[in-house]
Amino acid sequence: MKLQGVSTLFTSSFADFKRDKVRTALTSLGIMIGVLSVVLLIALGLGLKNYIQNQFESLGANLVMILPGSGFSGGRGPAGLAGGAEFDEKDVRSVEKVPNIKYVVPVYIHSSVITTADKEISGSIMGANEEIFSLINIDVQTGELWKKTDVEKKAKVAVLGNTLAQDLYGNPSDALGKTIRVGGMRIKVIGIANKIGNQERDGAAFIPYTTTFGSMNPKKTFFAIYLGIADKESVTTVKSEVEKTLLKRYDKDRFSVTEQSEILSTVDQIFGILNIFLVAIGSISLMVGGIGIMNIMYATVTERTREVGIRRALGATTRDILLQFLTESTMLSLFGGIVGLIVAWIIVLIVRNWFPVALNLFAVILAIGVSSGIGIFFGVFPAKKAADLSPMEAIRYE
Amino acid sequence: MSSIISLKHLYKEYQLGDGSVFTALRDINLDIHEGEFSAIVGPSGSGKSTLMHMIGLLDKPSRGEIIINSRDVSTIDDNQTSTLRNSYVGFVFQQFNLLNKLTVQENILLPATYSRRNLDFDPIARSEMLMEKFGIISKKDSYPNRISGGQQQRVAVARALIMKPQLILADEPTGNLDHKTGNEIIDLFEELNKSEGITLIMVTHERELAERTRRQIRVLDGEVISDKKK
Ligand SMILES: Nc1ncnc2c1ncn2[C@@H]1O[C@H](COP(=O)(O)OP(=O)(O)O)[C@@H](O)[C@H]1O
Ligand SMILES: [Mg+2]
Repeated sequence: MKLQGVSTLFTSSFADFKRDKVRTALTSLGIMIGVLSVVLLIALGLGLKNYIQNQFESLGANLVMILPGSGFSGGRGPAGLAGGAEFDEKDVRSVEKVPNIKYVVPVYIHSSVITTADKEISGSIMGANEEIFSLINIDVQTGELWKKTDVEKKAKVAVLGNTLAQDLYGNPSDALGKTIRVGGMRIKVIGIANKIGNQERDGAAFIPYTTTFGSMNPKKTFFAIYLGIADKESVTTVKSEVEKTLLKRYDKDRFSVTEQSEILSTVDQIFGILNIFLVAIGSISLMVGGIGIMNIMYATVTERTREVGIRRALGATTRDILLQFLTESTMLSLFGGIVGLIVAWIIVLIVRNWFPVALNLFAVILAIGVSSGIGIFFGVFPAKKAADLSPMEAIRYE
Repeated sequence: MSSIISLKHLYKEYQLGDGSVFTALRDINLDIHEGEFSAIVGPSGSGKSTLMHMIGLLDKPSRGEIIINSRDVSTIDDNQTSTLRNSYVGFVFQQFNLLNKLTVQENILLPATYSRRNLDFDPIARSEMLMEKFGIISKKDSYPNRISGGQQQRVAVARALIMKPQLILADEPTGNLDHKTGNEIIDLFEELNKSEGITLIMVTHERELAERTRRQIRVLDGEVISDKKK
């Protein structure tokens, strides 16, 4: 009869775990925390990136934005928006003369308290012309969109973003036909937009830009002018034409003409850096977990060295010893890693309801790989040292 | 009587921290015959344990030959040494050296898990037979740190016997036991030697215990100074 085998290795590892509950728990905990923090940090970084990308992508393709300041392309980030030009209808008319532009949409954005018969919440008002709906692909769920004539008539009508309608009235379609009040102005809700998954758009009330001209927007200016370009090929020419036109009125650094794809690549760059930071922070927690494991392993090294000596005296080869310790620390590490992963996964599933966090295979492999590596190394290394002693030296070790 | 182990011009030297060399065993020549019950005696620090570790292949000599069953084993590799430790010899230590995280029975069975040959007996049945015989069957599932010293040493003796070795080596087996319990362990050895013909070597510095064996090997400062047989 032969007892030595794979099943014996597992059984004896389990016997060890049972008897060394504290060591088992602490080692697994170290690995668990390492895996959990790395996976969560990277999930968070990815979530943030997804979120911001979604915001821009839902703006639609072939979109060019005229923004105040040096905009996103100046390399200074959103801060460059400050201190720039304030656009007006004159700019809209001059830009409209540039060929190959399908839509020219002046955009006025204002955050304001929105009041209904029995509610008061803060939301954002987006003043634009009727082309905004085609430009950013908005359609109504109920009711209708306002038209060119409404812009001409300065009609006090609004299309509500789906989330805003829901926040105001509970059920989005209940908003239809109701009157909301914004800074003393009474505006009739004539349509509710489909949900598009962009928080800014879903939370806005769209009204004709002319309607903002008054106490809300006395200077009759716009935050930005969005352009929808007829086809991809003409984007570059349109951009330089528009720039030329605007340079007649503004200095070079008071405005910028930016393509959406440029913004996306800037976002990519920013998040590339952010991810390096997150991985660095994650590595620190992996290290902390690793040091914990190391301490636990070293705290028991005398006892374990004696154990190795005894086992060797009873006929275990160096290989038997290494296999035993390898099995043991691999099981411990994987157990900790898998528990950490499951906890991370559950947290990601919950947070997902509000924020587009995502598990990343690279993060999972990195975290489990590194922490198991540490766990296995510090499990096997002392055993290897003990097995290299003669059994007698190992038994007498202190 | 044929000799089951011979030591020839055996030396064990230790390299000390200050660079000097300490000779723990000097030119040892010894033959152990099958069925003998011998005692290695001598003052503390004279090299008794070191000698026992050489015989049991727990440590390598610096020079000289160890011949087991007519084969020089001083130069064999780890695998072969482990096999010999596993099946040819059984150890009983002063400190018992049981694993506290294994039960009594698991401790006794431990050598069988490292066997690399097919055993001609059932180790589980044998472990039960040994526990029965040594009066520890009721402690079968206990852990070693929960039983008395005398019981622990009986577990150690059962573990030493599980593989049916040719030779039992016991290094001060009564050193951690009271007088009465110690005597009981020696009774057990005597009985194993008489009725089963097991070869036994025991290290002791107690004259009274040494008197009970049939051969006394006296060691002083790393040398065998006398070897008396009854
Ligand atoms: N690893 C070692 N390094 C140096 N000296 C050692 C070592 N092991 C044992 N010795 C020395 O060898 C001598 C014999 O030790 P030992 O065989 O344990 O004696 P005994 O068992 O007779 O009391 C002692 O002087 C001891 O200090
Ligand atoms: Mg000794």
